Amino acid sequence: MSSSSPDGPEPVPHLDIADIKADEAEVEAEHERALGVQRAARKEKGQGLITFLWALPGFVWLGFYLLAPLVFIVLMSFWTPDTAKGFVKDWTFHNYGTLLHPFSLNNAYWKDMLRSAQISAIAVAACLIFGFPVAYFLAMKVKKLQYQIALFILALAPFWTSFITRSVAWAYPLMGSHGALNQFLVKIGVSSYDHPLLDTQFTQLSVQLAMIQLYILFMVTPIFFLLAQVDRHALEAARDLGGNWWSTFREVVLPQTMPGIVIGSIFIFVLTMGEYGTVEVISQGAVTTVGVYVHSQIVGTQYPQGAASAVLLVFVLILGVFAITRFANLRDEI
Amino acid sequence: MEAVAPPAPAKTQDRVVTRQYKEPRDWAKWGLSIYFVIFLIFLYAPMILMAILSFQGYYGGVTFPFKGPVSLQWWRSIFQEQVGNQFTNAEAIRAAGERSVWVSLAAGAIVAALSFSLSMAFRRRFRGDGLAFYIILLALMTPGFLLGLGTQIFWKAMGEETSLWHTALGANTVWGIPFGFLVMVAIWNRYDDHIDEAARDLGANAATTFREVTLPLVWTGLFGAFLFGFTLTWNDYDRTVLLVLDNTLPLQIVGLIQAAALRPDLYALGTATTLVSLAVIVFFLIILGVRSRFRRTPVQSVEEELGLGGGIDAEAAEAVVEG
Repeated sequence: MSSSSPDGPEPVPHLDIADIKADEAEVEAEHERALGVQRAARKEKGQGLITFLWALPGFVWLGFYLLAPLVFIVLMSFWTPDTAKGFVKDWTFHNYGTLLHPFSLNNAYWKDMLRSAQISAIAVAACLIFGFPVAYFLAMKVKKLQYQIALFILALAPFWTSFITRSVAWAYPLMGSHGALNQFLVKIGVSSYDHPLLDTQFTQLSVQLAMIQLYILFMVTPIFFLLAQVDRHALEAARDLGGNWWSTFREVVLPQTMPGIVIGSIFIFVLTMGEYGTVEVISQGAVTTVGVYVHSQIVGTQYPQGAASAVLLVFVLILGVFAITRFANLRDEI
Repeated sequence: MEAVAPPAPAKTQDRVVTRQYKEPRDWAKWGLSIYFVIFLIFLYAPMILMAILSFQGYYGGVTFPFKGPVSLQWWRSIFQEQVGNQFTNAEAIRAAGERSVWVSLAAGAIVAALSFSLSMAFRRRFRGDGLAFYIILLALMTPGFLLGLGTQIFWKAMGEETSLWHTALGANTVWGIPFGFLVMVAIWNRYDDHIDEAARDLGANAATTFREVTLPLVWTGLFGAFLFGFTLTWNDYDRTVLLVLDNTLPLQIVGLIQAAALRPDLYALGTATTLVSLAVIVFFLIILGVRSRFRRTPVQSVEEELGLGGGIDAEAAEAVVEG
């Protein structure tokens, strides 16, 4: 109908709609702006203070129960031993002198340190070798999520039970010449009670095996979480490009799980190096590790010497962690 | 031409296609399944053997063979002060158990509260957050024995006496906080900040938003943090042993080892404490399961908490929130 009048009022309704749209947009924008200002105001006002207040109690607590004790181990290691009070606050290097003296390199402390390092290194390697297939199975081969979660919880549950109780269960019913393991070996004819195939009666071997059993979950868990995130399409692509099982594993799976392996290794290394109670229970005092050594000094109220031994242990731990992190750049990965 | 073609050949072709895509049997999966079972046996066998040996009769020892008759005698001996004409350690065990329960509950509460507030701080970036994060990691990485030792030295240097409630409790919470903190961080990572924003836009003030919207959505994380604090303290030995004269249960277990004669009551006590730990996890999993079954969408809960039930078209609102 308006086609007959080309210069008629046709543009007007057009403009009107545009106007209405513009108005709507303006109102909308105004609304958004108001909300935005409101939100910005909420964000700005005292946000730093609120964050500070949230962080305060936790860090006061950690300062008192974590940092202060660690600082005081260092301070105590420079104080002078005293037979009556345990220590007096006179500064000295003597506590380190006895430990670091060149002729003391074969004394009990360093022997125990070496034994701990050996147990710890073997535990890390064994946990990796025996734990990786477990994580791989859970992450790659169990397809249904419910089963995956259920089996993972089943594998993880012992973490929430006492390491001391697990050590008791390890050392007494299972290990030793009359323990279940050796009785089984005798039954199948490869061992005897007088000369057991594996001497596990309160021995270093028993401690070594127990460390693997107690700590393997610390390796399985981080590897599992990273394997679960590996892109399945990347695996297919690798296979389509002609990669066999091993090259796919080495080029695709392993690089992506490296951070998990490193985290697990750090955990197991640090925690087994500092282990005390489980070693005492499993070996009944027959195996002395650096933890046992330091403990005996503290129980004997040789606080400064014990503190110096502990500081050197921490130093060794830091060196070890540094060496392990060489295998993967964690900063980039996380 | 093609339209006239009978449908039969198509069927044959289908069959050929399905055959082509048939997966070969996954032998690696079967091998790994068997390995996984062996792994579970390796993990659980010692505890199961211990549990079996705790049901021996009067002449029971600490290794096999099982000396019958099957009885609850050793289980009774950790609860009753006299079994038959034998006096037991029940009194000491009861006292240790009571202390363990109270100190673990306290540690759980402290860990839940502190890891929650720490995780709230970490929802935004702040100056020094990198260092702060490393301090929390340090709490995770410090061997328990060193922490117990340091706490002992710190309190000795201040001239204070160490005790279960003054020092062992604190040392144990330090071990629990990083776990609780990581649980809470995982919760916040999945948490949609828009929900808070929506509540605020609907007129709720900060405190109401926090109490009525945020807390109900994250309480499972809080409960998880509490459980970490509880179970880690309940099971701890290294952090507690230097610091207290009054035994907790793990210290009591070691006390039984150092007693003159090892009897199966050690196994009964060990099994009992393990069962408590496992019961706590199962309880938590049940709660998680129940919660996920009755799970509401964030918008539904915002509506409910603000008393706006039905006032908003939930799906549309969700789309807006998401957009």
